[in-house]
Amino acid sequence: MGRIVGIDLGTTNSLVAYTDPQTGAPHCIAGPSGSTLCPSVVSLDPDGSIIVGEPARRRLLTQSERSIYSVKRLMGRGVADIQSELKLFPFRIDSTSQNVIRIKLGDRLFTPPEISAFILRELKNWAEAFFGETVDRAVITVPAYFNDAQRQATKDAGKIASLEVLRLVNEPTAAALAYGLHEKQRGRVAVYDLGGGTFDISVLKLISTGEGDIYQVLSTNGDTHLGGDDIDNLMQARIREKILHEHRVDVSAQPDLVQELRKALIAAKHQLSEGVATRLRFELPNGAVFAYELSRAEFESLLRPIVDRTIGPVKQALADAHLGPSEIDEVVLVGGTTRTPLIRSTVQEYFGRKPHTELNPDEVVALGAAVQANILDRGVKDMLLLDVTPLSLGIETYGGAVAKIIPRNSTIPASAQEMYTTGVDNQTGIEIHVLQGERELARDCRSLARFTLKVPPAPAGLPRIEVRFLIDANGILQVAAKDLRNGQQHSVEVQPSYGINDTEIERMLEESIEYAEQDFSERQVIEARTESEAILVATQKALANAESKLLSTEERAAIDQSVAALKESVAGNDYKLIRKRIDELNQATTHLAELVMNGAVSTVLEGRKLAEV
Amino acid sequence: MTAPSKAPDRLDHFALFGLPRKLWIEMAPLEQKFLQLSWKLHPDNFVNATEQEREFSLQRSSEVNDAYRVLRDPVARVEYLLELEGARKEGEHKQQAPPELLEEVFELNESLDELREAKEAGGDLSTLKARLEAAQKNFQEKLGEVDEHLQVTAQQWDAATEAKAGDNDRKAIMVRLNELLNRRSYIRNLVNNVAKELT
Repeated sequence: MGRIVGIDLGTTNSLVAYTDPQTGAPHCIAGPSGSTLCPSVVSLDPDGSIIVGEPARRRLLTQSERSIYSVKRLMGRGVADIQSELKLFPFRIDSTSQNVIRIKLGDRLFTPPEISAFILRELKNWAEAFFGETVDRAVITVPAYFNDAQRQATKDAGKIASLEVLRLVNEPTAAALAYGLHEKQRGRVAVYDLGGGTFDISVLKLISTGEGDIYQVLSTNGDTHLGGDDIDNLMQARIREKILHEHRVDVSAQPDLVQELRKALIAAKHQLSEGVATRLRFELPNGAVFAYELSRAEFESLLRPIVDRTIGPVKQALADAHLGPSEIDEVVLVGGTTRTPLIRSTVQEYFGRKPHTELNPDEVVALGAAVQANILDRGVKDMLLLDVTPLSLGIETYGGAVAKIIPRNSTIPASAQEMYTTGVDNQTGIEIHVLQGERELARDCRSLARFTLKVPPAPAGLPRIEVRFLIDANGILQVAAKDLRNGQQHSVEVQPSYGINDTEIERMLEESIEYAEQDFSERQVIEARTESEAILVATQKALANAESKLLSTEERAAIDQSVAALKESVAGNDYKLIRKRIDELNQATTHLAELVMNGAVSTVLEGRKLAEV
Repeated sequence: MTAPSKAPDRLDHFALFGLPRKLWIEMAPLEQKFLQLSWKLHPDNFVNATEQEREFSLQRSSEVNDAYRVLRDPVARVEYLLELEGARKEGEHKQQAPPELLEEVFELNESLDELREAKEAGGDLSTLKARLEAAQKNFQEKLGEVDEHLQVTAQQWDAATEAKAGDNDRKAIMVRLNELLNRRSYIRNLVNNVAKELT
């Protein structure tokens, strides 16, 4: 078995983390660029290969029609659901898409789980390079307010990326887990999580028992389409309007300009977390220059409605937990968007206490996922997570009404049994429609699945079929039916209303392997070679430096020997040997590097002295 | 589609928590027991176990959660007990106005209609809203009364159970409990409807 990791598959950025077996502390793993954040952007290169993360993000500007960001917004959704998003996001949806959305990158079509799988695969690569071992299992986080279809789509993405998804964990719960471990918090905790595209609020009770700590989620609420992206869109709309007004240039007609504007506004948003104003400057295609000073006050006036929209779910979550704001012992902020001062002050005011921000809000969810991954992997336990289902599960009854059978905020796994019989003689099937949501009519709830229960021919009312609806620990629905007259178990084929079926997943898995350039060890060899090239060049340069004369003969001989050994190993295919030789050369050149560094520093100092004189 | 009805549970919620079929339950020990059972049975403990063990953990932990959800809620607990004793079937009880409330309900519905019309016409809503708020308060008080009755009758049930009372006594109490539940659900719907219109 390979290694296990925790993954935060985010709207804007994704991260991968692991738990150090010695210390028990979780850490995020950095990618090749040294950053732990992998932008959730995927681009299809004209040569047919897939590019993920920072390099793909740069292509948003130059190759917008081959690149996609914020794909999480499309997970588990149907074409009809996303019409409003299409006005704000440059998603290029294939017009023949029916239930399952297909996204165009260049001339190829991909489903949202396939795009997410590319991101998962990239993170898996990061972790494999870090461990020097394969990674085959993961705990992946999802917004607490994700419905069944969105969770299923996330699990499918894991499968397509060749990862066994041991558990889907709700993002605020993961954050609480990371904080609980870090701060040894107890009592009632509210987690306010405003990310790039989703908002979650969860209320937890942290209990210490003789056997260990229990993290019990009391309630959760949220909005799966509310986040930093929305702030960006509002800012964009305002600036586009200004450009149109002042210069008669329609930015929206030019995808590259849209991306440039988006990038500049995101930077402006970050600056306004610190400063009180920021300057925007664009060259327009007609040669004109648009310059504008955006103040924090103007930014906050745009932000205010979004912050206000988070308060409704917060109130509902507290009401469902039977608690008032003052009964919350600790408040935790999660998600990059909570760096905004207005959000911090609003949350502080509402709960009447200063929220925790000690852990990096971008990393905390991935860290929590790594903690849960470690719990599941070790089997030894000192901690237990009890989570809830965010939405009520119901079935359609007469007249399009919904009978709620598992209420929202039920601890999962949760189940309900319903008894069915026939209405007419020799009826052979009973239609069942399963829904998720809080509204009273089926048409206002989310359709999860429709299926037909097969019944052997019998007089009306005689068959007795018991159907068991079960929400598992991932928040995903399972259905089983039993004929009570003969005890026979019926298999129930549940065709998800908006999902992809197992055969399609198999096909996608095969295709994704085709895209995954090389296998693990091949990739390792390539990376080790690249690294050795860099160190060989650096050594050559250092040796050419005047300071190298100060090396002893033994030192110089050791370096020459290590260089030769490394060059020899690079000719072979053993990446472990190459890495060993790189380390040896690094050691042999420690003194040389010091000499060169000292020389450089003294030159600079002398230069300054000369200038001063 | 055929209307579903509640199936009998395989495991009785009371028995699962080692409790007699009584309606007064101490919350702290119930929570203790819930956490204890969860600690043992939760699927997280069985990730690396056999398929069979995982299935067992999933079934058992869901039964524990289902039972705790019902037992900790005083009203759901009564409904469940009646279903268990065969004295109540979901879907069977009709949403009928209790006879002595008919007149008040009639007035309330009229006010609600007027408010909806006035909202559409864009007229002055303050008098209508004040009238509805008064009615809402009135029904909320009635809801409180029903809850008190429910509590008293629940105590009678527990006493009868302890005294090992005969079937007829037990049935009579169950009929009263059933009536109170129906009345409660009727009034609660009314209050909710008014609240919806007032916001």
